[in-house]
Amino acid sequence: MPRLLARSALVLAAVAVLVFLATALLPTDAARARTGGRAGAADLAALRAELGLDRPLWTRIAGWATGLVRGDLGTSLVSGRPVADLLGARLPATLALMAAAALVAVPLLLVGAWAAGRRPRTAAPVLVAVAAVPQVVVAAGLVAVFAGALRWFPAVSFVPVSGSVWDRPSSLVLPAVALAVPAAAFGAGLLGGAVADALALPHVRAARVRGLPEPLILVRHVLPRLVPASLRVTTLVAAGMLASSALVETVFGYAGLGELLVGAVSTGDSPVVQAIAVLSGAVVVVCLAVADVAARSR
Amino acid sequence: MNRHHTVSRGVAMFAALALAAGCVSGADPAGSGAPSDTLRYVAVGAAASATNDPHGGILNQSDLVRFALTYDVLAKPGADGETELRLAESITPDAALTHWTVRLRTDATFTDGQPVAAADVLFSLRRLHTKSAENFGRMQMFDLDAAKVVDQHTVELVTTKPYAEVPRALESVTFVVPDATTDFTKPVVGSGPFRMTGGTPEAAVLERNDRWWGSAPALRRVEIRAVADPQARAQAVLSGQADVAASVNPATAKQVDGNAEFAVVHREAITLYPFVMRLDQPPFDDNRVRAAVKLAADREALVDKVFLGYGRTGNDLITPADPSSPDLPARTRDLDRARQLLADAGHADGLTLTLHTTTSYPGMDTAALLFAEQLGEIGIDVEVKTAPPDTYWTEVWGKEAFYVGFFGGIPFLDVARVSLLSGGPTNETGWQRPDWDAGFDAALATADPAERTRMLGALQTTLRDEGGYLVWGAGDGLDLTRTGVDGLPTGPGFESSFIERTRLTA
Repeated sequence: MPRLLARSALVLAAVAVLVFLATALLPTDAARARTGGRAGAADLAALRAELGLDRPLWTRIAGWATGLVRGDLGTSLVSGRPVADLLGARLPATLALMAAAALVAVPLLLVGAWAAGRRPRTAAPVLVAVAAVPQVVVAAGLVAVFAGALRWFPAVSFVPVSGSVWDRPSSLVLPAVALAVPAAAFGAGLLGGAVADALALPHVRAARVRGLPEPLILVRHVLPRLVPASLRVTTLVAAGMLASSALVETVFGYAGLGELLVGAVSTGDSPVVQAIAVLSGAVVVVCLAVADVAARSR
Repeated sequence: MNRHHTVSRGVAMFAALALAAGCVSGADPAGSGAPSDTLRYVAVGAAASATNDPHGGILNQSDLVRFALTYDVLAKPGADGETELRLAESITPDAALTHWTVRLRTDATFTDGQPVAAADVLFSLRRLHTKSAENFGRMQMFDLDAAKVVDQHTVELVTTKPYAEVPRALESVTFVVPDATTDFTKPVVGSGPFRMTGGTPEAAVLERNDRWWGSAPALRRVEIRAVADPQARAQAVLSGQADVAASVNPATAKQVDGNAEFAVVHREAITLYPFVMRLDQPPFDDNRVRAAVKLAADREALVDKVFLGYGRTGNDLITPADPSSPDLPARTRDLDRARQLLADAGHADGLTLTLHTTTSYPGMDTAALLFAEQLGEIGIDVEVKTAPPDTYWTEVWGKEAFYVGFFGGIPFLDVARVSLLSGGPTNETGWQRPDWDAGFDAALATADPAERTRMLGALQTTLRDEGGYLVWGAGDGLDLTRTGVDGLPTGPGFESSFIERTRLTA
């Protein structure tokens, strides 16, 4: 357990530093963004100094890390608003979207895995193909069919200006499905192998030969063996959906963390990028750790 | 969030997903009875740059519109191009045009009940000046240390040189906040026609301020939402989730043409993608080459392809929408003359150039590709290089010899200050003309408006004939609305931020 904790902390620290370096390598920075590119060199240098962008990179990382330890996420270099406010305003929307996407993805994942385990030759290529479709393409297709032709769901998923996303839950459907389908297909492909292995076990084969009904075999013999693998795969699927949410949120105009991240990257707003990256990283690391512990305790 | 809420929200989500097909969204119920008095306005902007500071770099149109509704400005550009006074009752100079008396209305109050006083105005102007780098040196013509409060409702401003266009200098983002405000992380109280009552800077709820000095707006409530993607903004109106989408693509305007449910508001001739030639780099250090390139442009074809016809051809005048822009015969395509000029400049055997462009604004890349073909006809072989928007404005713009630039409805005095005068911060064409600078100062020291306009026009004519801007056309700003939205602003630049007179008739 202590080793697991140490490893998780180390991974998270590495994520933080890497993201900081990547943000520093962006062609633009917050000073350029704030001046709209139309300021002279002297003005730009003065603004960089004011924002602390002229300090060496390691001092900036250290400053950011000490702030984080004190629970201070800093302020946006572009808008001057506290990062905690920005995140707080958008976290509920992203959580809602992830929950909705999970609700769609998990059943799809299990059905897909079962199919892949039963009929690897036919099901697996289909899963690989579906998983390879970018979320943005899925989103465009869904919008064309369900918003354009059928008019069942809105083409843009605005969170109401006063109120929450739950005031208009139908707006969650298309972005959730767009996130879930490729991720679930990817996960099902991974889990399909484990299903096939379980089905190939002697006592499972014996049960099938004895003519036991399939659902009973599934519940009694297959599912218990799949728990550790499916926990890991589900974590991967969730992480994949979290990573894709930036694009899907932007396409649907959905006011979540991902859309904020896209904007913050384009303006070189490192405190905002850092906070979202580390938060997402922490979620993934915690899920992986939980999956690890659960798998070992069996 | 307490547990009860969590549970009920979980149930709500289940219901939503289970009953997905039945849960039809679509137009919000606005159809029955009296027209709504809430305007849902989707503006250009990104959440990441949405700010509460009205004096710094305002990157989002959504913020500009919100500030224009919640704060008073000293003056604004009028729909007719003349200065429209707002918080200022009069702006009058001394004989030398260096000392200006700004008299304020006496009936303006902040929404917290405090009267708007001269000290608030001077504080706001000074704060604007400290953020000079972020607002293109808005207050650069003033010596604000020498400015003073004369009485409760009078400010005296001092300019560094005679400056006859002080009203124009003040018809900009002179948003007035209370004196000595230091915390701009949260919305700061204003005195404008609306007040912010909820939401966030990127999705704001504004309600009418019934104590505003001006005639009461018809709207009771305005919701302003920042959306970065033009397609998503258009979809919001097309799907009934918004009444207005600012700045949509020409293709969207074409798409709704003839559809009775929607309308397109044209803000005429404000989007410029000039071809920029740097005067300090060969071959453009020779005006014959610049003139040849200007004569080679098929301007009608460019306007048709790039703006899909929503715009007008340009005459190489950098601010065609500005009242001081001179009225000159149109420059038309003349390939023979262009070839002759190239030969005179020593390029009789042709010329090879690279034209840089990007995809930041719709059609910038099309413009470059089409013009490359057109230049081929006078023996100039052009390679088009497209850079991603992320790197274009930092690594190409203002650096390369030949590229596609951008201007969006900026007045001539601002373009001159930022991009043309020798001391300007981003002189992107390398236009260094002491006589032109002197002519600019002389025009601004001229009290007679007609004579001043003539002098400013002459400066623009020189720039047109000798400068590095090929302004082949000006595209319309296109705002998509549902039918029944009247009175949206149609002027260029800052004027288009004032949406307070909008009314809903259906």
